[in-house]
Amino acid sequence: MSQLDILMVVLRVAFGAFIPICFIAIGVWMERRGAGFIQDRLGPNRCNIFGFRAGGLVQNLADGVKLIFKEDMIAGHIQHKFYFVLAPVLVFFTALVSFAVIPFADTLILGGKSYIMQTVPLDIGILWFLACTGFAVYGIILAGWSSHNKYGILGGLRSAAQVIAYEIPMGLAIVSLLVVYGTVNLSEIARFQGQLLFGFIPMWGVILQPLGVVIFIVAAFAETNRTPFDFAEGESEIVAGFHIEYSSMKFGMFFLGEYVAMFVSSAIIVTLFFGGYQIPWLATETMVAYAQPIAIVLMLLLPVITYYFTNWIRKNNVSHYNRQNDPLVREANVYIKICWILAAAVELILLTLVVINPSADGVRIFVVLLQMASFLLKATIMCFVYVWVRWTLPRFRYDQLQKLGWQILLPMSLVNIFITSAVVVALS
Amino acid sequence: MTVKIKTLERQGSTFIEKLYLVEVFRGMRTTFGHFWRILLDNSKSYVRHYPEVKPEITPRWRGRHRLTTHEDGTMKCVACFMCQTNCPSHCISIEAGERVDGKSEKMPIRFEIDLLECIYCGYCVEACPMDAIRMDTGIYSVISSERSSVVKGMDELLATPGAFSEEDYKKRGL
Ligand code: SF4
Ligand code: SF4
Repeated sequence: MSQLDILMVVLRVAFGAFIPICFIAIGVWMERRGAGFIQDRLGPNRCNIFGFRAGGLVQNLADGVKLIFKEDMIAGHIQHKFYFVLAPVLVFFTALVSFAVIPFADTLILGGKSYIMQTVPLDIGILWFLACTGFAVYGIILAGWSSHNKYGILGGLRSAAQVIAYEIPMGLAIVSLLVVYGTVNLSEIARFQGQLLFGFIPMWGVILQPLGVVIFIVAAFAETNRTPFDFAEGESEIVAGFHIEYSSMKFGMFFLGEYVAMFVSSAIIVTLFFGGYQIPWLATETMVAYAQPIAIVLMLLLPVITYYFTNWIRKNNVSHYNRQNDPLVREANVYIKICWILAAAVELILLTLVVINPSADGVRIFVVLLQMASFLLKATIMCFVYVWVRWTLPRFRYDQLQKLGWQILLPMSLVNIFITSAVVVALS
Repeated sequence: MTVKIKTLERQGSTFIEKLYLVEVFRGMRTTFGHFWRILLDNSKSYVRHYPEVKPEITPRWRGRHRLTTHEDGTMKCVACFMCQTNCPSHCISIEAGERVDGKSEKMPIRFEIDLLECIYCGYCVEACPMDAIRMDTGIYSVISSERSSVVKGMDELLATPGAFSEEDYKKRGL
């Protein structure tokens, strides 16, 4: 292995490990501020470091410190301490490793060698994801059972029944997808979606499989235990469900695991149905061929976006009451400066790309970076959908949940398989 | 009185509503409207920026107690124990003594209200025959780092002024 090979492996693993963890902070922040905005509030916006609040992101830090320094206790009645401690680790870890197979950019070709932009270049792709998320529920069941608490047990039981009811439609939705894509390898699935249907519609899963999208997204919500399917937790019914006996960072692991799972399932939804890293109408080869025009367009767009964004900061980062020498305005000035400096740096990089005709490798790296950005943007939007749905819909009743799973989603996904297969056979 | 009956239409039985999905999207449109409105302009949120912006207190509002005085500065309370008897949380404790200022026979020599137990129900105010205890100070935040300082004694209760004029106080609720 050359040095470049090792570097690429390190970079990929770093991406696969750090991005989900970074998205915990972003997810929690988005959830709290999003909830605030949806309910006409503002959400947490007071925590600061030297007056810098980063739009409320600093609150996460404070919460993290709080969780770490709280007393970490195990109630005396818990007999299986090992399983009790294992459960949150299981939830967190399985959520994290299921990100490993998701491609975040097209294959990178450097010096004639190709590198698959996936943390672990596995061919089984989607099966790995199913296995990992299926395993995450063991953590929840284990937590409920080892808590030796009736609410915990109820939460665990509900979670088990729910996963059985929703894994099946999810699996069947994936079957019909596989009929379309003809592969389980997520890299190939993402590449497939770079094509165009009738020459002008991006061939995304959402267009080829409209029914499959609905089934899969509903099932994914149930898998990640988020409202309207957060039965395992069900605060208003069973207090806190499976994590009722947990405190401190052991609870924190569940909490973080939930957000990692949210990000990973957003990523998988994006990969399967929304083109993964693909930028619509710009397939990898097109982008490599037209790297310079794209760079010029970006150079023109960037100042405009920065201008509107800084205006937005200026308008909203102020105190909404009479205050002399408003420190928030000073804070906003710093943010605006940072924004312009970043924009200038990116402009400079783009300029070098335009002026000095770069080597083929440079262009490839540029394209991969663009694709990564597109992937992360799509995943963030999908995370927002998770938040948005959570603050829109109330929790289902338990029998409604089972009814929806068995009587509506299951037949629907079966019908979907038949229709898809019929169309695919008819076309081939 | 005739019984008024209002028949509410039952929702959720049409086919479109049973599909869930359409209604889910309509709900999401509503919430996104709120989200977008606040995102574009933070100042449109229905939030009071407490503690910088204080809430407006009306004369009806039951805040911390005070003991009132006559014009000449002598206290109105005659230690009749009505408030103490009425208090549902037993947080008033009075010790009566002989009155020396000639207004009547009795006055409290100790008058304590334990604000940690008080539920701010206002029964003491209503029970008082002398209009000697009122909750019109407009103080809504009683905080302290030790318990003893939250038990308010007679001096402090007498010293706190009312937050409203006599007319406004009399008009409350009308
Ligand atoms: S407000 Fe109610 S609880 Fe408080 S002292 Fe008066 S009677 Fe007692
Ligand atoms: S405050 Fe009023 S009710 Fe209470 S002892 Fe004095 S006069 Fe009686």
